[in-house]
Amino acid sequence: MIAKSVLEKFKGIVGEQNYWDSPADLALYSFDSSVEKPAQPEVVVRPESTEQVAQICKLCNDNSIPLVTRGSGTNLAGGTIPVTGGCVLLMTKLNKILEINVKDMYAVVQAGVITADFAAAVLEKGLFYPPDPGSQKMSTLGGNVAENAGGLRGLKYGVTKDYVMGVTFCDMEGNIVKGGGKTVKLCTGYNLTGLMCQSEGTLGVMTEFVLKLVPPPKASKAMLVSFDSIMDAGNTVSGIITNHVLPCTLELMDNFTIKTVEEATGAGLPVDAAALLLIEVDGHPAQVEDDYQTVLKVCRENNGAVKVANTSEEKEKLWEGRRKSLSSLARLRPTLVLEDATVPRTKIPDILVALEEIRQKYNVTIGTFGHAGDGNLHPTFLCDKRDVEEMARVHKAVDELFAAALRLDGTCSGEHGIGIAKAKYMVDEVGEGTINYMKQIKKGIDAKNLLNPTKMGL
Amino acid sequence: MEKVVGELKQLEELLVQCSRCGTCQSVCPLYKKDRQESSVARGKMYLLDALVEGQIKKADEIYKYLDYCVLCGRCKNNCPSGVKTDEIFLRARGILRQVKKLPAWQKLALKVAMGQPKLLAAMSPLFHIGLRAGASKVDDGVFKPMGLFRPLIGAMADRHVIDMPAEPFTKKYGGFNQAQNEKMRVIFYPGCAVTLIYTGWGEAIVETLLHYGVSVYVPEVNQCCGIPSATMGEMGLYKKQIGVNFDYFDSIKDAEYILTCCPTCEYGLGATAERESGRQRGKQMMDIIVFMAEVLKGDYPKDIPLEGRTTLHIPCHYNHAKDSVLKEFIKEHFDTEYADLKNDGCCGFGGTFSLKNYAHTKEISALKAKEVEERGYKNLFTACPGCAMNLTDATLTAETAVQASHPVVEMYRRRIKKNP
Repeated sequence: MIAKSVLEKFKGIVGEQNYWDSPADLALYSFDSSVEKPAQPEVVVRPESTEQVAQICKLCNDNSIPLVTRGSGTNLAGGTIPVTGGCVLLMTKLNKILEINVKDMYAVVQAGVITADFAAAVLEKGLFYPPDPGSQKMSTLGGNVAENAGGLRGLKYGVTKDYVMGVTFCDMEGNIVKGGGKTVKLCTGYNLTGLMCQSEGTLGVMTEFVLKLVPPPKASKAMLVSFDSIMDAGNTVSGIITNHVLPCTLELMDNFTIKTVEEATGAGLPVDAAALLLIEVDGHPAQVEDDYQTVLKVCRENNGAVKVANTSEEKEKLWEGRRKSLSSLARLRPTLVLEDATVPRTKIPDILVALEEIRQKYNVTIGTFGHAGDGNLHPTFLCDKRDVEEMARVHKAVDELFAAALRLDGTCSGEHGIGIAKAKYMVDEVGEGTINYMKQIKKGIDAKNLLNPTKMGL
Repeated sequence: MEKVVGELKQLEELLVQCSRCGTCQSVCPLYKKDRQESSVARGKMYLLDALVEGQIKKADEIYKYLDYCVLCGRCKNNCPSGVKTDEIFLRARGILRQVKKLPAWQKLALKVAMGQPKLLAAMSPLFHIGLRAGASKVDDGVFKPMGLFRPLIGAMADRHVIDMPAEPFTKKYGGFNQAQNEKMRVIFYPGCAVTLIYTGWGEAIVETLLHYGVSVYVPEVNQCCGIPSATMGEMGLYKKQIGVNFDYFDSIKDAEYILTCCPTCEYGLGATAERESGRQRGKQMMDIIVFMAEVLKGDYPKDIPLEGRTTLHIPCHYNHAKDSVLKEFIKEHFDTEYADLKNDGCCGFGGTFSLKNYAHTKEISALKAKEVEERGYKNLFTACPGCAMNLTDATLTAETAVQASHPVVEMYRRRIKKNP
């Protein structure tokens, strides 16, 4: 329990308007977008500057108070649930875009900026920030970096970590630390920027970033390909990659998802298809045409029926179905367990086979869609959290799903992070030695293990 | 307390649909401003869950969070899981009212507005005189209360208010208005704002309908749609108002449609009313522009010149399936350079919300006014008198002399009125 005098110090740092400790206010920060069990913090504060963040870190350290950093709380693995109580540090007021440098193609932003707002501001200046996590309209850039968020464009353009050039963060002693910078090449000291990416708030509180921007593509072409067999769709994904074409988007929907979307939206999707691929190639017009011809050839070799979008309206219509996947599935049952098991992309057909076996074995409902092009699928378990027996089956099915992904040289998390939800799979993926090494790093930086404790099993 | 929790448990099937994805954050006008979970639907629903499950012990502690909501419905319209947030919040407020009594001034205001509509209308001349006496004129038909009211109404003293005409709209138009060459008959439901404040909107709409051969029934006394009571958690009063209005609609046998120019009235007397009262309205209710464009299809004037660029604020409760009808109506009939507002969110008014939270309302509407100013719009349309009032306050506060108006009003004044 935090002493009243310490609570007053929190209030002194951030001011009355950014301080909360009533039961209802604490409950509001006990959960995130995951299905993990909520846990109450003892205090919630919302700093408005890096200096205030540093003071809060020091105060927590001096008084052995756990510290959980939170942006929009849209993470799906329980990464912002304050499992051991303590302080939730809300980053939503550090939300300024400090600079968009068009000539050197970088931007300086605070951690609480909403991803889509930033992408729109960059686009207005004629540049492009490619990472596009599904939660981009809500999620903060700080959360994106902490979780290394991905998105639909990951296959060609990479994920958040590929765009972080520099980072400013606070350690638990209240030091303000800087990693990386504004130059394309930089090799000063440890790569702290790399270390902080996907650290899930366990190594410091990030307040500011230098983000890389790129020129937008000059042309693009989108198509919807339907298949009578999901294996044909999986083989098409492998075929496109082995033919060395990198579409900017290569998305998969299974028959269950297609039918659900069609029933919910009437978007005009082929409900008889066993699977759909939504493919978009972009870049220089000549390259786009070249890539398109290769994709067309691979699709035909794998019995895919190709429908090309000739206008921007047609393209928009094609994407409508993909965008509605999650929402359409969400309406079927009260609870969604959205996973992100990821495999090397040529092993997509194998994970699809494994998924079907798991579905039958545990009698669970799964809608599968996702970023097949980068091997990152989102098998979505539809269930009801109030049904204990059903949830037990779902949890076992999820365990087996991750076991299958690891068997196929994959990973437990493509873009959602580990949090508390997947901590138990960590050792299977990286081994005891790696876990120990991570613990040593954390111990060196955060001796009392106050920074987001229990996350990633640390 | 047990009773309250028991009643809230009945909302379980609605609450369990929320997957806590947080999509509501991206569209909530209050979250965008405050950036905290207490402002947004996800947080409010979590609190209701926490109360039902016993994590939170005092029901009255969460009322203030449920009450802090514009009820714009944008969370519902954008929810991936289809959570009926408006239904949850209205019902929960009603249930929690048992432990959190309505403040006396709000009770009195409701009592007069709901129970004494005749008295309210009769007081129009007094409002008219009072407003002018205690305020200074700042623009055509717009006043600003002077400092003497500040002790009574606080921050509201800074609000620009639209002049209240000496006569309510229903005094002149209440009853049956016969069209020459009658094609059909409709009911026009004016709502409180048109009855007492934007009487010119009512006149323009009725005269336009008459001009195109539509006879119009107007209630002799406007009965409030009931939404103010519902938003204050007084569901009993709301149901009573639904009954009074539905009785009136039922009493008119030869009208096919009920028309309105207030989307919140349409919302309050629409599906929500049918669900809460268990009664069927029996006649189709629709917005005046949707009626003109899709049912009446008259030979309306085209190319009405407007000086400068034009934009549109689409009210939250507008039937959004008809947003394009509203936009096309403006583009088709006015000669102007039209562009959508980039900030397509709520204006922040929310009726009773604004009365209780004017400072918050002002922060939200200021963003709209800023865009109007920055992008140089000279004409600002909307299809709701409440939004018009609020946006006019915001633009005048920002010292941009652009008053919000209704497309049919401008069409009538500029082309249809005999002596414009």
